[in-house]
This record gives sequence, C-alpha cells and structure tokens, in this order.
Amino acid sequence: MKEFLLLIKSEEEPKADLSPEQLQQHIEKVGSFIKRLTEEGRMKSAQPLEMEGRILSYKNGQIVDGPYNETKEIVSGYYHLLAKDLDEAIEIAKGDPRFEEGIWRMEVRPIKKVTGIN
Amino acid sequence: MDTEKSFKELADHFFRKEYGKIVSVITGYLGTDHVETAEDIVQEALLNAYHSWQHKGIPENPQAWLYTAAKNLTLNSLKRGKYAETYKKSIRGKEAKSIELEFTDQLIKDEQLRMMFVCCDSSIAENSQITLILKILCGFSITEIANVFFTSKETINKRLVRGRKQLRDNPISFEHLENIKDTLPIVLKTIYLLFTEGYSPSQKDELIRYDLCLEAIRLGELLISNDLITDKADSYSLLALMYFNASRFDARMNDDNMIVELEQQDRSKWNKSFVNKGSQYLQYAMEGNRTSIYLILATISANHCVAASFNKTNWVQILSLYDDLIAIEDSPIARLNRAVALAKVKGNDLAVDELIDLETQSDIGSYYLFHTTLGYLYKEGNEDKKAILSYQKAISLTTNERDKKLIQKKLMDVVPIL
Repeated sequence: MKEFLLLIKSEEEPKADLSPEQLQQHIEKVGSFIKRLTEEGRMKSAQPLEMEGRILSYKNGQIVDGPYNETKEIVSGYYHLLAKDLDEAIEIAKGDPRFEEGIWRMEVRPIKKVTGIN
Repeated sequence: MDTEKSFKELADHFFRKEYGKIVSVITGYLGTDHVETAEDIVQEALLNAYHSWQHKGIPENPQAWLYTAAKNLTLNSLKRGKYAETYKKSIRGKEAKSIELEFTDQLIKDEQLRMMFVCCDSSIAENSQITLILKILCGFSITEIANVFFTSKETINKRLVRGRKQLRDNPISFEHLENIKDTLPIVLKTIYLLFTEGYSPSQKDELIRYDLCLEAIRLGELLISNDLITDKADSYSLLALMYFNASRFDARMNDDNMIVELEQQDRSKWNKSFVNKGSQYLQYAMEGNRTSIYLILATISANHCVAASFNKTNWVQILSLYDDLIAIEDSPIARLNRAVALAKVKGNDLAVDELIDLETQSDIGSYYLFHTTLGYLYKEGNEDKKAILSYQKAISLTTNERDKKLIQKKLMDVVPIL
C-alpha cells in the first residue's frame, strides 16, 4: 500500500452559497464516504482547513508574508489515504460525492517514499 | 458497520427546518431589525456543523449541538458591540445579563409563529411576504426560491431586500400581537399560496413540489399548536384542506411523471393517515360554527377523499358546497370548478350552457382550464367535434409543457388518430 495526499480545493470559500438543504446532503454523503474509507482502513486522516492562514517566504534575509497567488483557489481540506497505486487513489478520489456539487477540485499526489526517512 | 445509517440519522430536511427555528429565536432576541444578522449567525452555525460533522460524524444530539453553536455565535456578536447599542434600546432598561437565550420547545414554537406574522405584516408587499417566509422560516436559499417562482436570483434578492428594509424601518413588536386577528388572514393566505405553488406549480415543467406542500402544512401546524391564536377555526379549515389534498400525492403522478387526474387515480394509494388528520381538523373547524372559503374547500376535498370512486362521489353535496362558495366569493374560477359537479347532478348540457354564459361575462376564456373543462363536458356528452375544438383551444393557451402533454392525451382519447 502506498500513501497519498489528496488536496481538496475550491474557489474561495465555497460553502457560503450552499443552502441548508445542500449543507445537510453534503454532510450525509461526504460523511458516509469518509467514514466508509476510515473503517476500511484506507483513510488515515481527513481534515478541513480554516479559511485563514499565511503564506511565508524568505526574502532579503528575512521571513515575509506572501507573496500570495493571483488565483483565488484555496485548499479547504485534505485526505491522507492508502491505495495500491496512483490509479486506485484516483478511482477512490472520483468516488467522493462532493464532486456532484460541482465546486470542488482535487489534487491527488503520491507521498514520496525515501528510504530511511519515512 | 452501520456507516450509511449513522449518516442517515439526520431527519429529512433537518437543516432546513432548524434554520427557520433558530433564525426565529435569535431574531426574537435581537429584534426584527436584525433579522439579517440572525440569518448570518445561523448560516455560520450550519457551516460549523458542516465542517465538523462530515469528519467526526453526527453528534448524539445534533439539535442541541446547533443550538449551542448558534447561542455562542449570538452572544459573541453581541459582545463585539456591533449590535450592543440597538440591543440595549430594544430591551428597554432590562439588565442585559438577565436575558438568557435558551432554545426551549415553547420558545421555538412561539418565535416561529411570531416570525410568520412579522413576515406577513400588511406593510410588506405580498410577493415579499412569501419570499421572506421561504427564506427565513423554511430555510430555502435564494436560488431555490428563484426556482420555485421561476424567476431570477436578482428578483428574489430584491424582494428580500425590500422586505428586510421594511422590517428595519418599521420594526414590528414581538411583545404584543394585538393585530394578530388582522394579520391571520394574510398568514393563512400565504400558507395556502405556498401549498398551491407546490401542488400545481404555475411555472416551469415541474410537476409537484411536495416539499413546499409539506412546509405549508408544517407552518399551518404551528398556528394551531399555539395559544397566542385564540380563534383557530380558519386555521383548522386550511390545515384540513391541505391534508386532504396532500393525501392524493402518491396517486397524482404516474411512472412517466405525468399527472393523473382525480377520475383516473388509484384510490387505494391515497394516504389514509392524511385523510384521517384532515377529517379530525375538519371536525375541529366545524366547531367554530362559522363558514369560510377554506372550510368549504376542505369539505369539498373531504367528499372526494371518502368517495369509493369518481362516479360514486356525492356530487349533490359538492354542488351545494360550490353554491355556498360562490355565495361568499363569486369568482369565475369557482364557477368553472362548479361546472363538473353541476354536470354530474343536472346533466352536461346545463353545465355547458353555464360555462358559455360565463365566458361572455368574464375573461375566463383566456384560461386553458376553462377549455379543458368544456372539452371534458363535450366529450362526456358525445359531442366529439366540439370536444376536439375545445381541447385544441386549451392547448393553444398553455405555455407549460406538462399541461400541454396532459391535454394532448385527452385529445387522443377523443380521436385516437389525428
């Protein structure tokens, strides 16, 4: 089994426009999806991220805020999961019911294994 | 391994219903001029739940979870001082500390009721009233409301802004509802409008929006379960009417998503517990010893509900009920509906004559159902040629694909090859 990091992305804060009905449906569908994977032992961790935070970089000898990307894309959560290979991880990702809402993108990245490190 | 189940524990439309309850309670606390703040607070509480529950599962008592979240957000917003000034004024000298925000069942019921009356205040335009009710009390999003009325999000937004402005400029007191008597008819009318919109959407090709009908019933139940309203006869009548009509939900639509008319419905599919509820409320309504349009309509609907078949319906009584209805409110629509009963009791010819008379006295001739009914009467009287002409006229007057299909089918019944 290999490890994968799935970055859940959207344009800005996407949830504000969802109606109470849609919020509930999301909880039911995505919640069952996460729970099933967790019970199968495939989902090691799944967390939402706050909409606040900073990007730090090193410039002229000191650490500064930014620069920020021009795009409004924001990572709003992540999954850390186990899969046989990238194809299987993608298949699992495709099963996330959140895609029905049409506002999400997901980046599926294998976690690099370096002997002696992790 | 009850994965599906644990996430299905939330009741249907739980968020939507809680939204209306919590907004009402918080608005009662902050004042009607802060209804928008209350809406923002509840949306935030729901978002918090959304983030937390999808990962951690649904808490044991989701309702209490939401109430605590909403309460904390409200108190925080007060502390931030944004609304502190107006809030102090609104509590008129009472110590702020002494006011506690507890979501008790009684308070939730009372505040929803008050919110209903606030939204229906006569100072607010009619289309804003129903929009406010759907947004605030029924938790529909602007997009969902726009879909209901087949209009743009901008239009709905304008109605909301206008309605909320009215609430701000003219805050309606929650302390006294002395005008409850004057506003009740508007509240009833708005609820009925909501039900009707769900029962036969005037727009789009939507068939039936049961969720709207059920929301209307839920609001009606709030009226009768509250002691603030002393005279409940009309509320009972309206509820009875809605339950009787709603009992036919399952039979009204076939597998091809076509509406099945009363005459063709499989009566075994009618919801008996709804019919029983309707009968019970009708009983209560009659104790009021006073007639009303809702009472008459409910009694007509009840007559259909208890009839073994379309032909075994008590048409004599239905006809006399329509006569009563016309005595209260003589409208072309009431007379049109009366025509079928009249035909059953006194024959098609007389009913046709009355309809033709009606067409000369009103603009009912521009309404497709007028010609559909006329077509039906002609067909029953074996006047196929006239029936065909009426149905064709009806089709030319409908803009709705759903209705067009239905009449097309009737036309095919008269002339199978055309």
